[in-house]
Amino acid sequence: MTDTLTSPFAAAQAEFERMLARQVKGFDYFTSPAPAVGCTPKDVLVERGTMRLNHYRPLVDDVYRVPVLLVMATTNRGFIFDMVPGQSLVEYLLRAGFDVFMLEWAPPRPHERALTLESYVLDFLPAAVERIAEETGEPDVSVIGYCFGGVLSLLWAALEGDGVLANLATFTTPVDFHAMDLFQAWSDRRFFDVDRLVDTLGNVPGEMLYSAFYMLRPAAQTAQNIRLYDNLWNDEFVKSVRMFERWNNDTLPLAGEYFRQTTKALMWDNRLAAGTLDVGGRRVDLSRIAAPFLHLAAEHDHIVPRAASAPLIDMVGSQDKREIVLKGGHVSLVAGPNAVKRMWPALARWLAERSQ
Amino acid sequence: MTSPSDPGAFFRDMLGQWEKMANSFGNDAMKREEFARGMQGATAASLQMQAAFKDTMEKALAAANLPTRSDVEALAARVDAMEATLARIEAALGAQAPAKKDKPTRGRKSPAG
Repeated sequence: MTDTLTSPFAAAQAEFERMLARQVKGFDYFTSPAPAVGCTPKDVLVERGTMRLNHYRPLVDDVYRVPVLLVMATTNRGFIFDMVPGQSLVEYLLRAGFDVFMLEWAPPRPHERALTLESYVLDFLPAAVERIAEETGEPDVSVIGYCFGGVLSLLWAALEGDGVLANLATFTTPVDFHAMDLFQAWSDRRFFDVDRLVDTLGNVPGEMLYSAFYMLRPAAQTAQNIRLYDNLWNDEFVKSVRMFERWNNDTLPLAGEYFRQTTKALMWDNRLAAGTLDVGGRRVDLSRIAAPFLHLAAEHDHIVPRAASAPLIDMVGSQDKREIVLKGGHVSLVAGPNAVKRMWPALARWLAERSQ
Repeated sequence: MTSPSDPGAFFRDMLGQWEKMANSFGNDAMKREEFARGMQGATAASLQMQAAFKDTMEKALAAANLPTRSDVEALAARVDAMEATLARIEAALGAQAPAKKDKPTRGRKSPAG
């Protein structure tokens, strides 16, 4: 077989053609809009302040009995689950025969600064579950939470899940916040005055949170820009970069009181891992979760390191529980090419066996 | 994957190594107490300035008989409450209306049986 790249002449010619393509497509990059994301047809069932509950239109005539609720992290937009056709977990689940809902968040308005952990766990999540029951006529639901959406799902499952939770899956969900080294260093209570921050700003700006995420990998943006230039000839690469960039840059503000509460209870006192977290005056005990449980973690997660999510599987009380650690990072676990090949099929199989 | 004669391969490998080293070096530096102290000190100073500016602006707006940010936020909260009430009414009306679409059946079985 003749490999064109093994001949120096052919390799130089290929590189020259790429260089030309970079010039032409580089112009397109700056003049064309980013690809449209989150376009799977849906109905918005609830729109209340920061809360959005979407129902995606089923793609098959016969769905599994148990509906699926995706719970997004409060820091980012839900379209990470629904990028573009062919790269959408939502679309994948719909085609696999599930009835899919998503609980996502709009930026909290200034007067929503008073929202707390209780608002999310004891109001928004139960309201979503109740509305899904109304829509589907089914008494139970499978819940899938991503990152802090996973934390909210765990708290809800432990406090309110009896009788309504069919299955629980969490992606890259931290429980031991003391194992998040960099966030720990930056939120050191000796230097970080969270009260002053919230009292002054109300809601915590998305830009501030974006900067914190960015600083976790300070060289990533520069390297990404160089890789982007190197691959400007490759339409698929450019499209993928633009989608993820758009998602990354769209970091949401956080409600002030919710930020204050999570900083003190989780980052400072590590109460979820210690078993001393109270929500709405009730102690959260993850061993009370009895529904089948799946935790999917990423081997190279720079936001939620393995050590921060590793204790979770032992803390949950379910008899039927499983943890899968996959190659990839915090975002590529749920939306990268590896997710399409490995994570989504594993998740759909696990759910299908428990959704009748 | 790059072939051994790919002219960009060396450069791409170097870029990957530089990124790893720079991230690791940056993370080590940012884990230090001095970094947290400096970063949070700068944040505190900026917040103090913002608070002082906000206070001055509120006094000036009140003197000019104009609504402050807090007044506008209070109005937004009331509009939000009205929206929520409308949504509840809409939902109640929707519940009385006939189903608008064919819903799928819910009898699907897992291929695993």
